[in-house]
Amino acid sequence: MNVMNANNLVEHIFRHEYGKIMALLVHKFGTTQIEIIEDAIQDALIKAMQVWSFKKIPDNPTGWLLRVSSNNLIDTIRRSKKITLHQDVNEFLEGINSKNENVLLGNEINDSRLKMIFACCHPSISQEYQIILSLKLISGFSNKEIAKALLKKEEAVAKSFTRAKKKLKVHIKNLEIPVELGLRSRVNIVLKIIYLLFSEGYKATTGEDLIKKDMCFEAIRLALLLTENKYCNQPEVNALIALMCFHASRFEARIDDNNEIVDLEHHDRMKYDRDLIIVGNQYLELATRQSEEPSSYHLQAAISYCYSIAESFSKIDWSTILEFYDLLLKKQRTPIVILNRLISFSKVYGTGKAMLELKLYEQSLNYTETTLYNAIKAEFFNDLRKYDESKLALKSVIENTQNPLEKKHFEKKLELLLYNEKARTIKSRH
Amino acid sequence: MSNFLYLFRGGDASRIQQSPEEMQAHMQKWGAWMGGLKEKGQLVDGLPLNKEGKVVEKAGEVITDGPFAEGAEVVGGYLIVTATDLNDAVDISKGCPIFEHNGNVEVREIMSMDM
Repeated sequence: MNVMNANNLVEHIFRHEYGKIMALLVHKFGTTQIEIIEDAIQDALIKAMQVWSFKKIPDNPTGWLLRVSSNNLIDTIRRSKKITLHQDVNEFLEGINSKNENVLLGNEINDSRLKMIFACCHPSISQEYQIILSLKLISGFSNKEIAKALLKKEEAVAKSFTRAKKKLKVHIKNLEIPVELGLRSRVNIVLKIIYLLFSEGYKATTGEDLIKKDMCFEAIRLALLLTENKYCNQPEVNALIALMCFHASRFEARIDDNNEIVDLEHHDRMKYDRDLIIVGNQYLELATRQSEEPSSYHLQAAISYCYSIAESFSKIDWSTILEFYDLLLKKQRTPIVILNRLISFSKVYGTGKAMLELKLYEQSLNYTETTLYNAIKAEFFNDLRKYDESKLALKSVIENTQNPLEKKHFEKKLELLLYNEKARTIKSRH
Repeated sequence: MSNFLYLFRGGDASRIQQSPEEMQAHMQKWGAWMGGLKEKGQLVDGLPLNKEGKVVEKAGEVITDGPFAEGAEVVGGYLIVTATDLNDAVDISKGCPIFEHNGNVEVREIMSMDM
C-alpha cells in the first residue's frame, strides 16, 4: 500500500506541482533568481486554474506547468537587462519542449527536489528559517497557511520568508546533494527538520486542523522523497516515516468534536487510522532490517507503535514501552525522555517508586519541561490520593502553559479534582 | 429555449493573491459548476481566453495591445448555455464561482437565425 493513498486526502496537485517546478527551475537558474521564479510559477498556476476549469487537467500537468512557467520566466529575463542568461537556457527550453519530457522530467524532478530539501535545511540557516523555506519552496504553502499552522501573524511569516530567502541566496548558490562524506550528517539535519515540521502540525493547538494535518502529511512526503535516493535511504529515514505514520494514525482521536484535548486513556480507538498503522509497520520493519542498532527514531517509532495498536488503555504494553524508553535514555538523556519514561515506569513499578524518581529531576529542569514535570506530578499525586499536592501541581501547569488547549484541558482536570473533593466531604458527613 | 452567451470578466486581482491550494479549490468549483450545467443539458460550449490580445482598427491601420484598459474589464472566458429566457439564464449564472473573485458575468442572448 502506498502511504499517500492511505490518508484519503484530496491530492494537492497545485501545491505539489508548485514545489516540483520550483525545485527544477531553481536548480536550473540558481537561487539568485528565486523571486522571479516564484512569480513565473504563480502566473502559470493562475493560467492552469483558468484553463483546467474548462477542460480537465492534462495527463502531464507537470510538463504543462513547467512549459508555461519557463516561458514566463524567460520572458521576464529577456525583458530585464540586469539579468544575464545562463548559457544553457536555450538548451533547457528545447529540453522541456521535446517529446520525451516524461522520461526527462521524472528523474530530474526527483533529483532537484532532493537538492532543494538539502538547500532549505542547510546547516548555516536557522531552524526557524529552515522550516519556513521548506514549507514555502518545497511544499507550496502560502504565508497565510503557514501562519495558521504555526499560529503566527501572516506578516510575520512573510517577513521571515524574505529574510530566509536572503540567507538561502548567501549560503547556497546552486542546488546540490552533499558529497557522500558529509551526507549522513546532512541527512540527519533534514530528518530533524522534517520531524519538527511534523510535530508543529501534530501539536494540539487552536490552529485549523485541516491545514495542520496537511503539514503532517507534507513531512511524511518529504521523508518519502529521501527514500527514493539510494544514498539518502538510510534506516533512520524509514524509522522516522514509521514514527510519523504511527503518530498520525491517532490524529483524529486526540482532539474531540469540541476541540478539546482527549488524553491517551480516553482515546476512541475506533478513530485510529488502521491503514497508517499498517504502513508505519512496514517502514518500521524495513528500518529494523536495515540497521543493526536502533536509532532514536527506531525506538520512538516502536513506542508509538505500542500506543497505536493497543485495543484499549488497559491493554497498553507498558513494560515493552519501558524497555524501549530505557534504550532511548541511553541515546538521549534529555529531560523530555526521562519524564516520559517515568509514565511507563509508574505503570510497571507503581506510582510510589516513580514518584521517588520524578523528584530527583526537579532541580535540573528548564522552563518548558517544568510543565510536563508538573503534569506528571499531578497525575502521580492523584494516583497516590494526595489530592492537595495534585491540585498544587495542576495549578502550576495551568499557570505556565502557553497553549490554550492544554490550559483548558488541565483546568478541566482541576475542576474534576475539586468536584471529587466535594463529593468526598459530603460522603464523609453522612 | 434559447442560447445565451456568458462573458466572464475580472477577478484577476484576487487571483494573484491566492495560494496554490486555494487555486486548486477554486478550479474544482468551476469544474463542479460546469459539470452540473452539463448534466442538466444546459451547457453548449465554452472556452477560456488568453490574457494577451490585439485590437485591430481601421483595417489594420491601428493595432493596439488589448483589449484591456482596466483589469476588471478583461474577458477571461465565455460559455454558451441554453435557458428558457434571459431571467432563467441570469438565474443559472448566479452559481458561477467567478463571484468569489469579485468578477462578473455578462449574460447575452444569442440571436436565433431561424426566425
